[in-house]
Amino acid sequence: MKKDDRAPLIKISTLSLKFGGLQALSDVTLEIGEGEILAIIGPNGAGKTCLLNCINGFYHPYKGEILYRDKNLTRLKPHQIAALGIARTFQNIELYSGLTALDNLMAARHIHMKRGALLGCLFFGPTRREEVFHRHQIEEIIDLLELEPIRKKVVGSLPYGQRKRVDLARALCMDPAVLLLDEPMAGMNVEEKEDIARFILDIYELKKIPIVLVEHDMDVVMDISHRIAVLDFGLKISDGPPKDIRSDQRVIQAYLGEAS
Amino acid sequence: MTAETLPQLLKENFKTYASRAVAMRVKDRGIWREYTWEDYYLKVKHFCLGLMYLGLHRGDKVSILGENKPEWYWAELAVQSAGGAAVGIFTDCLPGEIKYYVEHSDSTFMVVHDQEQVDKALEIKNDVPKVKKVIYWDPKGLWSYKDPILLSFDDVLELGRSYEKEHPGLFEERVEEGKGADIAAFCYTSGTTGLPKGGMLSQHWLVESVKAWGQFDGWIGKNYEYLSFIPPAWITEQGIGIAGSIIAPMVVNFPEEPETVQENIREIGPNVLFFGARLWENLNRMVQAKMLDSTFFRRLVYRLALPIGLRVSDMKEENKKISLPWRILYFAAYQTIFRQLRDRLGLSRVDAVYSAGAAVSPDIIRYFKALGIDIRLFYGSTEQGVMTLPKEGDIRPDTSGPPVPWVKIKLSEEGEILIQNKYPYSGYYKDPQATKAKVKDGWFHTGDFGHINEDGHLIVIDRMEDLKELAGGRKFSPQYTEIRLRFSPYIKDALVIGGPDKGYVTALINIDLDNVGRFAEARHVAYTTFTDLSQKEEVIELVKKEIIKVNQTLPEWTRVKRFVNLHKEFDADEDELTRTRKLRRTFVEEKYNDLIKTLYGDADTYKVEASVTYRDGRKGTMETSIRMNVV
Repeated sequence: MKKDDRAPLIKISTLSLKFGGLQALSDVTLEIGEGEILAIIGPNGAGKTCLLNCINGFYHPYKGEILYRDKNLTRLKPHQIAALGIARTFQNIELYSGLTALDNLMAARHIHMKRGALLGCLFFGPTRREEVFHRHQIEEIIDLLELEPIRKKVVGSLPYGQRKRVDLARALCMDPAVLLLDEPMAGMNVEEKEDIARFILDIYELKKIPIVLVEHDMDVVMDISHRIAVLDFGLKISDGPPKDIRSDQRVIQAYLGEAS
Repeated sequence: MTAETLPQLLKENFKTYASRAVAMRVKDRGIWREYTWEDYYLKVKHFCLGLMYLGLHRGDKVSILGENKPEWYWAELAVQSAGGAAVGIFTDCLPGEIKYYVEHSDSTFMVVHDQEQVDKALEIKNDVPKVKKVIYWDPKGLWSYKDPILLSFDDVLELGRSYEKEHPGLFEERVEEGKGADIAAFCYTSGTTGLPKGGMLSQHWLVESVKAWGQFDGWIGKNYEYLSFIPPAWITEQGIGIAGSIIAPMVVNFPEEPETVQENIREIGPNVLFFGARLWENLNRMVQAKMLDSTFFRRLVYRLALPIGLRVSDMKEENKKISLPWRILYFAAYQTIFRQLRDRLGLSRVDAVYSAGAAVSPDIIRYFKALGIDIRLFYGSTEQGVMTLPKEGDIRPDTSGPPVPWVKIKLSEEGEILIQNKYPYSGYYKDPQATKAKVKDGWFHTGDFGHINEDGHLIVIDRMEDLKELAGGRKFSPQYTEIRLRFSPYIKDALVIGGPDKGYVTALINIDLDNVGRFAEARHVAYTTFTDLSQKEEVIELVKKEIIKVNQTLPEWTRVKRFVNLHKEFDADEDELTRTRKLRRTFVEEKYNDLIKTLYGDADTYKVEASVTYRDGRKGTMETSIRMNVV
């Protein structure tokens, strides 16, 4: 780990995004540090997922820029951004539902595989060694996220909470330098949430990579994140450590509405 | 010199097989990893030396807390090699309970599995000052733990290796010093009454009684595969698993996770295994469910084959000669379906399969018997080990079998099971009074109530203190009857009532809505609600038949004479059940007091007014009359 955890790895400046007449993000400026867990919170429609979508290239802002290690991401395509080491999970789980959990994870290692399709058909020598190597990497992640019991289950047949976990594992399989998590605990019960929170902390401890977390559950957010950024109607209204956010009047207003 | 202790036997195995034979197999990262006898021996040796370096002395105790993994076995054998005793603790224990075990056993070390257990150990470390180190074997999630009391398993092995260089031969010396009388392990009683007591097991117990067991059941010297699945803190795993695998010897297979057992067992095809009652029931249910989803042809074959299997196993039970046509039919059924089914379940090679503890439904035992799998339901305890065990070909669905050759059993006048054992335990730790209280006139009092049938098989009914008295002073166990009633697919729950002021035994029955509903549909019996269904003539007849079936297995005076089908299900939200679905007997008896009075009176019906809360919050009352039924 570097000495300064807060040295920015991703710099977002005056980011603005519009869908027709709807201003989804306006002038959002945010830095993501080298080794921190950053939570992005805000009421429904505040633009949290839009922000993630901008970072990994699904949306392209009309104004502002995103720098990752001084490289401008703003105009890159999602697969190019993934290749740079920015991995994410999805709110609505985007897995291959017809494949097993293991195959989904192997597919995610694709960006690290060097042998072409032709050699892949002849499964021996270096190709075989490569496959074994990647399988080994994946098994480490399976162990980390306790996916052993569902390793060979078809993803479509798994309950929601476990699919979320496979989704997280897939993001990890890319060996990411930054991990973006879009509502990893949505729709889970307390126990499942606790598990995921523990996994996030384990991942952070083991990999020392920055984790950006969009999440609704305030208790979890306050517990595990180092810093919280609050969005409301596309504007960043607050940014700071959890204890400051908790007492910030603007945040309370955004969540609870104007006191009458 | 013959080996008296497990470490000495381990050393012999090491000398005989070295790296030529596999001793254990564990699935890790999706691959089965093998450990030979040499690996096993060296791990034990270095871990033992590491512990000795850290200050483990002869006679010390070490608590071990974790799932079934090779490290558990290594740690226990290492402790025993140093002349100490291993104290097994169940993984789901709360910190408070763990504190009790560690404190009471005077443990000087704790060997624990993973982060979850380390957290518990750290929580109690200030309360157990005797503990010098907490050693964990799975470092996941512990990367940033800095507590100086923590040490990893590998660190200890490393310490052991360097300690060996300074003191070569020390380990071998210690192992040689071991005597049969040394205390090798503590198994705590479950403590249903009062605090758990630490039953002490000697090396002699582990070696000799397990050898006798293995010879009795024929798993010695056959290079069998064993599936390690039941908690090692339990005496059964201490016996078959830890001691048995060294004595036999058997290969011990550790599943990847408790949840992957189904998958892993098929890869192993074990010869010896122990499943609890619940697991056998789950297996059975799984097959039924999968069969329903199967193709028409397969279902047809299954439906034809199963009755053949059941019939033949019934004939075997009655010691009848099986005629040639039945033999041919069974052979065909076995080849077409049972063999494949057993393979799917991972039970294709099983020889000795065990169950104990909770009662297994006779139907489940019969079912597996039809597949050619004899589940041996034995009766054992923490203090006495295995006491009765049915022999192959002498398995009855409703008994625990006859006493094993090294045990004598008789019943006291009250019906308590009394034991004389050639291989007794070594008493309770720090509690000679309780030890003494258990033995009267040379017989060990188990505290269990049972009877011995005409074939000499023992039937265990209940704990003595859970028995109820009937008018006339005779004892009976409501729970025993309830469990057997619940085995019926049509009965979901039952409350059996009797007492000194009551002339006979009665029961409140909860029908199983799904199964009884299906039964009603098949008979074209129209019904509206649960209440309506429960009072239908046909349904009452159905339940009556089920009760008669159970009654036949009970002594005359404990048979259910009258019953009602209750108009509603017992519900945890109304405090009738605990959250774990155990019946809250006294509460329910009080709640239905009037109904129960009617059951003992002359009236044929009883009017109930049930208050119901609708979903919109309104409250209303429903009036129904429920019928008293005579068996």
